[in-house]
Amino acid sequence: MILFLFKGLIRDPSRSLLPLLTVIAGVMLTVVMYSWIQGTETDMISSNANFNTGHVKVMSRAYAEEAALIPNDLALLNVGQLLNTLKDKYPQMVWTPRIRFRGILDIPDKNGETKYQGPAAGLAVDLLSSENIETNILNLHKALVRGRLPRSKDEILVGDQFARDLNLEVGQKATLISSTMYGSQTTENYIVAGTIRFGVAAMDRGAIIIDITGIQPVLDMSDACGEILGFYSDFIYRDKQLTLLKNEFNHRFSDPEDEFSPIMLSLRDQMGLAQTLKMVDYFSTILISIFVLVMSIVLWNAGLMGSLRRYGEIGVRLAIGEDKGHLYRSMIIESVLIGSIGSIIGTAIGVAFAYYLQVHGIDISAMLKNASMLISNVVRAKVTPMSYFIGFLPGLMATILGTSISGIGIYKRQTSELFKEMEG
Amino acid sequence: MKEYIIWLVFFLSTAVFAQNPDPDRILSKVDQNISARNRVSEAEMVIHGRHADRTVKSISWIKGTETAFTEYLAPPREKGTKMLKQKDNLWTYFPRTDRTVLIAGHLLHQSVMGSDLSYSDLMEDPKLQNLYTAEILGEETLINRRCWILELVATKKEISYYKRKIWVDKERFIVLKENRYALSGRLIKTTDVKKIENIDGRWVPVKVVFKDQLKSGKGTEFNLISIKFNDNIPDYVFTKANLKK
Amino acid sequence: MILKLAFRNLIGRGLRTFLNATVLSLAFVAIIMIQGLLVGMNQQIADAVTRTEYGGGQLWHEKYDPYDMFSLEDAHGTIPTQLEESRQQGLISPILIVQGSIYPQGRMRPALIKGIEPSQNIVSIPSHFLAESNAVLPIMIGNRMAKDSGLEIGDVLTIQWRDINGRIDARDATVVQIMNTTVPTVDNGQIWMALENLQELTDMSNQATLIIKNANYTIPENISGWVFRDLDFLLKDVNEMIKAKSVSSGLFYVILIFMAMLAIYDTQVLSIFHRRKEMGTLMAMGLTRLKLILLFTLEGALNGVMAVILAYVYGFPLFLFLSQKGINIPSNADNYGFAIGEKLFPVYTAALVIGTTVLVLVITTIVSFIPTRRIALLKPTDALRGRMT
Repeated sequence: MILFLFKGLIRDPSRSLLPLLTVIAGVMLTVVMYSWIQGTETDMISSNANFNTGHVKVMSRAYAEEAALIPNDLALLNVGQLLNTLKDKYPQMVWTPRIRFRGILDIPDKNGETKYQGPAAGLAVDLLSSENIETNILNLHKALVRGRLPRSKDEILVGDQFARDLNLEVGQKATLISSTMYGSQTTENYIVAGTIRFGVAAMDRGAIIIDITGIQPVLDMSDACGEILGFYSDFIYRDKQLTLLKNEFNHRFSDPEDEFSPIMLSLRDQMGLAQTLKMVDYFSTILISIFVLVMSIVLWNAGLMGSLRRYGEIGVRLAIGEDKGHLYRSMIIESVLIGSIGSIIGTAIGVAFAYYLQVHGIDISAMLKNASMLISNVVRAKVTPMSYFIGFLPGLMATILGTSISGIGIYKRQTSELFKEMEG
Repeated sequence: MKEYIIWLVFFLSTAVFAQNPDPDRILSKVDQNISARNRVSEAEMVIHGRHADRTVKSISWIKGTETAFTEYLAPPREKGTKMLKQKDNLWTYFPRTDRTVLIAGHLLHQSVMGSDLSYSDLMEDPKLQNLYTAEILGEETLINRRCWILELVATKKEISYYKRKIWVDKERFIVLKENRYALSGRLIKTTDVKKIENIDGRWVPVKVVFKDQLKSGKGTEFNLISIKFNDNIPDYVFTKANLKK
Repeated sequence: MILKLAFRNLIGRGLRTFLNATVLSLAFVAIIMIQGLLVGMNQQIADAVTRTEYGGGQLWHEKYDPYDMFSLEDAHGTIPTQLEESRQQGLISPILIVQGSIYPQGRMRPALIKGIEPSQNIVSIPSHFLAESNAVLPIMIGNRMAKDSGLEIGDVLTIQWRDINGRIDARDATVVQIMNTTVPTVDNGQIWMALENLQELTDMSNQATLIIKNANYTIPENISGWVFRDLDFLLKDVNEMIKAKSVSSGLFYVILIFMAMLAIYDTQVLSIFHRRKEMGTLMAMGLTRLKLILLFTLEGALNGVMAVILAYVYGFPLFLFLSQKGINIPSNADNYGFAIGEKLFPVYTAALVIGTTVLVLVITTIVSFIPTRRIALLKPTDALRGRMT
């Protein structure tokens, strides 16, 4: 019977095409909406991830305990080897070393004496290597206000407001005074290559960015760094997988007895972000529930309308002797077929589109007044296993429900009434 | 007879002094002991870190109480760094970057080279009499030397350490131990002299441990390698130009 | 006449019209509900910061620069006398900020020491704990500061600072409360104590670094030595970030509009398809094709109008209720660390409601029109036979 009904649907597109298209459209929208909402989770935490936490972060155990103090004397050593290990064991991630440091930025007059001075918070990242990912992670091209990005290790980027406060122009010399990881005082001269907008006043007023090779010798941190950040190569945040990855790494490489052995923290372990993720999860659930509910009602209504319109046909079939139960069952099966096929096609299209949005995202920088480092300007969707199923809820269940309710009318009406509705 | 009376008066007064010493006089003698027209000293500072210890070597030219020039000799990272103190100003020269930097204001509270000493500790007037009034609390023996214990209270509100306690060698008038207290009476920093020597007729501490009592750790050690008093130090040494030489 | 006919046709179909209008109204309500939640969620951050730290605005000592810690040494002054009465009334509250160091477990770390009036209720910092404690020097810290320093309630912590003269002082303080807050600027790298205590300890009697004001109070202008910072100034960063997030949530809006379009489109197409004979009859009776198109378009548009009216009937009270009462966040809300309590307040602006109304009506009309174009090709004779040309 199913094959018969299926052939019937194919031969009479007037009966099947519109309901099918409706289901496809509804399911597709549901899948895209769901995947988009999942993508907002990444969006909500992306500035934290990019600037502070990574999806995961590797530090020495001692450094991790006092990370807020930026204790470079407790930095990771033998970083080259560690990076190779990370790349080898976790190729689905990209890894980048960083050094945070504090110091004074001192601007000299023509005699080399202090003209202006201000406390600086420094971030050293890989800006110059061919594999560098930091320029994109930190959104530096968009965040640049004056000048250009550094091309050599003796060039720095300075927060734009910080530069203005220090009367510092692009091309000018600035001296960094800081401490090495062993506590010695150290200085280095840099040229200001450009200024950037961080997007957070505290940093715009006092932060500098420098290539990691430009700071390592100054801080006596050759083959050392404060932290290694790891990101999924598509930069989509995957909470459960990251927790597994972190646990596996720590089990393998972290020694509780050795305070200088590496430890990995996931994003949710840092900066109270577990709370943020919980909140995002909670509200995502509310949003998607509302959407799926309403979409289900829309498709239920479509199913209902479609069946109501067939009362004429139903009248004929009853008149020629078809059993009511058989008729009802055949309508249900038809709606199952339409619902399934529609849901499958709708899901396929929806997932494909969501995946495209995941990979390419939508660049909203044109809509932002001031692009900055911390505000991400590409918004993305995220395809999860649930994306493949969520569409079936409105697509299949609602359609069947709509048909089954309208089909009840078959049992309640007289044949002649059904005929009459054929006229209407 | 006259001579006899003079000696008697002298001995009596010394005895009286020994029984009822004037704390201000003790303080004055302490200041006298350390003060000189100028001095040139070579010293080491051992700073204990979490990874390893660091020994910083320096040579200092000091004129009076307000002017000093220091050049760091080792380790390689510090070598060539110079500091010039003139009254309330402190400049540091970094040879690597050929920069002369003013250390002022808030920066003075920073630690020197990661030690337990701050720049403002270096900057303060070493003459205690100028800063404190004194009272004798009692006596104690330290490194086999009998000492007066003096309590010093700051005479001005601007003085960093409201109260100090010093242990002064009764014979040599050298401070063998010093406690510095906050306004609340909380012990902030301690200085312990481990070894003294007589150089050029003066008693000089040659091994001192300086410790910030609020922090955990072993503190910072100073070892005096050599010292010369009232040497011929040309004036140009205490100029900014000399920082760059 | 066409309008009357369209209206009568809709009413004549009874339940079906009601169903279609209800479904479309649900889509409409869902759009506004979801947008309101998204805006409310973003607004939460600004609200949290405002309620926790900024109050209704702040009066800063002219030398105060929150991003230059070196400025703190000089950034304090006597609380202006003209504000004394307002202070007694609780309309303003002074805060003194001093640079210091703390020594948790023997490790030195810099910290801002902030003095706040325990009785203040302008910001949601739970300062009353500082007055309720019997400890000699009670202090409060944020949850992140507690985590970073390894401190718990009851721990004794050594604090060191320099007073107004530059004298070093150090005391032991007791942590009497750990604030649960999402606002890092009242948490990281700082400790809170009673204002009077800090003023006494620093010899800064009756002095403050900044003064927070109640939202309903207007600070007198031109107070010498002090600069007023309004919320626009203080929330600049947060507002920028919200704007960026709004662009992202605007894309939700597009998807939601598509859902509404879907709701109307399929009913309209079905309607046209199944009323071929009626169309043929009407054309045979003299109705022009244009009027026929107009009729069906109007029917669809009127569906939209009914949906909007219906939505206002049950949606409006719902929105009002939610925006005032808020949505409860589940009871383990403490883990979420909300500074503002355990509710989310959706934000339904006039622009959202009116804009969506207009948009839905316009789109409904357009979407109703699109399938009617087939009518332009219709031959009455085919239509009467139940065929589409």
